[in-house]
Order: sequence, then C-alpha cells, then structure tokens
Amino acid sequence: MITAFIKRKERKTPTVETIYFEWDSGILPGQFVMIWVPGVGEIPMSISHIGREKAFTVKNYGPTSAAIQALSPGDRIFFRGPYGRPFQTVSGRILLIGGGSGMASLHPLINNSSFGLVAARSKEEILFADEFTDENLIITTDDGSEGIKGNVIEGLKKIDLKKFDMIYACGPEVMLYNAYLYFRKIGVNAQLSLERTMKCGIGICDSCSIGGFQLCRDGPVFFMNELEEMQEFGNFKLTYSGKRVKI
Amino acid sequence: MKDSSLKTEIASLKLENPHILASGILDENGYTMKKILEEGAAAVVTKSIGMDERNGYQAPVIADAPAGLINAIGLANPGIESFGDEIAIAKGSNRPVIGSIFASTVEEFANLAIRMQKYRVDAIELNLSCPHVKGFGSEVGSDPDLVEQIVNELKLKVPVPIFAKLTPNVTNILDIAKAAHKADALVLINTVRAIRIDIHARMPVLSNIYGGLSGPAIKPIGLRAVYDVYRETGFNIIGVGGIETHEDAVEYIMAGARAVQIGTALMTKGRKIFGELNSNLLQFMEREGYSSIDDMVGIGVVK
Repeated sequence: MITAFIKRKERKTPTVETIYFEWDSGILPGQFVMIWVPGVGEIPMSISHIGREKAFTVKNYGPTSAAIQALSPGDRIFFRGPYGRPFQTVSGRILLIGGGSGMASLHPLINNSSFGLVAARSKEEILFADEFTDENLIITTDDGSEGIKGNVIEGLKKIDLKKFDMIYACGPEVMLYNAYLYFRKIGVNAQLSLERTMKCGIGICDSCSIGGFQLCRDGPVFFMNELEEMQEFGNFKLTYSGKRVKI
Repeated sequence: MKDSSLKTEIASLKLENPHILASGILDENGYTMKKILEEGAAAVVTKSIGMDERNGYQAPVIADAPAGLINAIGLANPGIESFGDEIAIAKGSNRPVIGSIFASTVEEFANLAIRMQKYRVDAIELNLSCPHVKGFGSEVGSDPDLVEQIVNELKLKVPVPIFAKLTPNVTNILDIAKAAHKADALVLINTVRAIRIDIHARMPVLSNIYGGLSGPAIKPIGLRAVYDVYRETGFNIIGVGGIETHEDAVEYIMAGARAVQIGTALMTKGRKIFGELNSNLLQFMEREGYSSIDDMVGIGVVK
C-alpha cells in the first residue's frame, strides 16, 4: 500500500472535489489507483492531475467516496497502483467528451487547442468546463439549465467530428454506448474510458470484465474496434455478487 | 512432437492439455471463461456457486504478499439460480467447464450438484477449502466425517466426475484425502490462511481481516500435499498452488498430479499464460523424451 499526504482540496461542484497530494510517480492519462479508507472501503479512482502535483477528482456517491471527501489537508491517504491501460496520446486536434465526473479521467489530456464537450445533469454539476476556451466548448445538461438541453448526442450533432485527430470520451456506460454508436455511424475513431464494478484492480477477480476483457487491466481505455467485439458493452454487466443484469 | 502428447485424463474427463483455470480467478463471467478456454486452457473451474446470491466482502478484498497474493473475496456469487447463462456462454468454446460449488450441508451440496449437472457442466468441484468464510469451505472440509458424507452422497446423486478441493489448513491433509476417497479426483491445495497489517493504518488490510495466500509462496506447500497424498493413496490428483511456468507444472505432475490449475499467475502473466504453458511444456517433453503426460505422473515420488 502506498501512502501520501493531502496538500489541499478544491470544491468543484456540490458533489465533486479535487484532492491534491504528493506522490513521486509516473502516471499516464487515463490510469487509476485503488484508494483505501481504512475501516471504510476501497474504490477505483482515476487520477485527474498527473503533473508534478498529483490529484484525483472524486464525486460523493457512496460511503468510501464520502469518507475521502471528509479528509483534510495533512491527512494520510492509502492507495495502490497506478493501474490500467492509459489513453494513447496523439499529436493534433483532440475532442474530449466527458459525462459528469467522467471529465476527471480526461482532465490530463486538456491542452490549449483541445475541444470540450462537457455533459452534466444540471448546471451545478458541470466539471472542468472552465479549462476550455469559449470557442472550444459545448455544454449539454439534462435539464437544460446550461448549454444545450439534452444528452451528449445533442452536443455531438453540433460538432464536425472529422476535423479531430482523436476523440476521447469518459462517462456513464449508457452515454458511452450511445456515443460509440454515433461515432460508428459517422465513421471516426475514438478512445473510450469505461467504468464497471471493480474489486481487485489487477485483472483476476472478473468483477469488471466486459466481453472477456478485464476492464481494470486491458482497459479502462478501449478503442472502437475493441468495443465492437464486446457483446456485453452497453448491454449487460455483472453486479457486486456477479449477477448478470441488463444495463 | 504433436500437441496430442499434452492430453491427459482425470476419471472420464478428457483434457487437451493439463492446464486448467483454477476456481475464483476470472470465472464469474461466461465471456471471460470462454476467452480463457479459447486462449488455451484445457478447462475452467467456475467461481464457487452457492444456493443464494452473496455479495461477498467489501473491498479491500486483496492484499499483496511476498511472492503471492492474499484474497478474501468472500464467496461472492450470483446464486445457482442465476449461473446457468454463464456456463452456457463458456461452453460455447466446446471445452470442458467444471462447476465449483460450496455449501454447509450434505443436502445443499447435493442440490447444487444436481443443478450444475442440469447446466451441463463436465465435472463438479467441491469447495471444501475456502479459508475465509464462516460455516463454509475449510470449516466443512476440516471434518473428515462430513467430507466423506458429502462426497459419498454426491457420487450417488450425480454421474459427472466429482473433484474434492481440499484445504492445507489442517493438521494432516491425508486424513481428509482418505475421507474423500470416493471422489474421482482430489484438487490440492486451496489457499493458505493468512493476514496482512498496514503499519500506517495500524490495522489489517483486508476488510475480512483473514484471507487466503496464493502464488509462488505456497508452491512448496502444494507440492508437499500432492506428494504425500499420491504416495500414500495413488488417487487422481489435480495440483494447484503457485504454478507460473511449465517447470512448476512438471514439478506438480512428477509429484503425482495428472493435471494442474492456474490462478494467481493470471495476475503476473495475464491470460496468455495458458498458450505459453502449452508450448513450453511440449518443448520440455520433447527435449526430455516424454511422449505423454502419463509418462511423468508421479515419477518424482520416492517409493
């Protein structure tokens, strides 16, 4: 188990915080760690800031993430990793599509010319939109409180996808599946970072598997051609017990 | 030398090679099992399935250890009712699927075995050895009388081969092995009961405190169990514990195993390990002049 100390915290939305910590390690965009709160639990966490200063950006959605947000600067954090296959970076113009806290794993890819399609439930939950210039940003919200009302596809329709050298997307699986179908229709390549129930993080427990691939080890980033052969993508997943359920 | 030299048999179960995926590793989702079979495993053993759905333990469910891994998944499983689809998907590979079951009574074991057989599994493995769940696994498997009753009842109730997976966490594994003598094969060994403490958190790492140690750290323990049981009884044995290379597999086979299971090595080597073991074992046999797996079984045992 690796230990580090929290340096500072930034509240990003009513439910999301960025937590900065000191860790002298090479980590690549899209990789994650398994973060442990002793006595509470352990969850996967993508690293949102990978420069000299590291940070993760955590949404409060359960007991362990709530316990992480309750920590203060100076407190110790416990984690193992980094794990997972990172995003493959390309030179040229990139489009980043993030749904909700999915923006966190895309954050390391943001550069001066990147275009952002930031999707959220409502205005309050929009994450990292302020890191894109106005002309390089489209926002969609489910409730229409900011930007285009509707899901990420409504935003995609406003963008000429063919002018990008690579498209990166992260968010809920339903959103990613719809985006995947849209990319396929338009005929563009993309890298999608998926999320599923994860226990071991090292490719042996089978909890996060999708179509025979272990998301924690073969992914979480997958290319379009890999997603094509995964019968379960956007379709079925296993619960914490291993029970097959429709997505 | 032909690939057919790698064939082996355990009771009526015919295997293309001696390398089987061990229970508990990458065997909850049918698509994963199918992929592993297509990548060279001779058979897969499913995750242990019980009567009812169980979430198992909250993470952390694994902790690292020198030359190994400690896990306490806690027998997470969807329940026998919901597992048929996964077996059907895995069987799309046309290779054998071995259904692992756990229970605390003879009746439940019999119920589960009958259901597994209806799902068309090729053999049934009895989990008499999980070291970290109260009332199941090694708590059942440490009682020779109970083990004997369970195995005998299942041999009466189901025609498919019955394998008994035993625990090393007993004073004398031979006593348990002899109690399970009606099984078609013994699977030796399950993980070794273990813990880790995080010195900064000042508490055990695993949410369940106790877990099972696997990986190269336990290979000599597994070998000793296989050796002792084979020498004393000559039973069919499937060896498991710390196998990462074809040399490890050969060591188990020479100690008396007719096949081996691979688990924790999936962490270090990935799914491709099965293809590598098959080709490396074939080359070894060619170099050393063995024409079949059978030629090697038990030859390292001093009579």
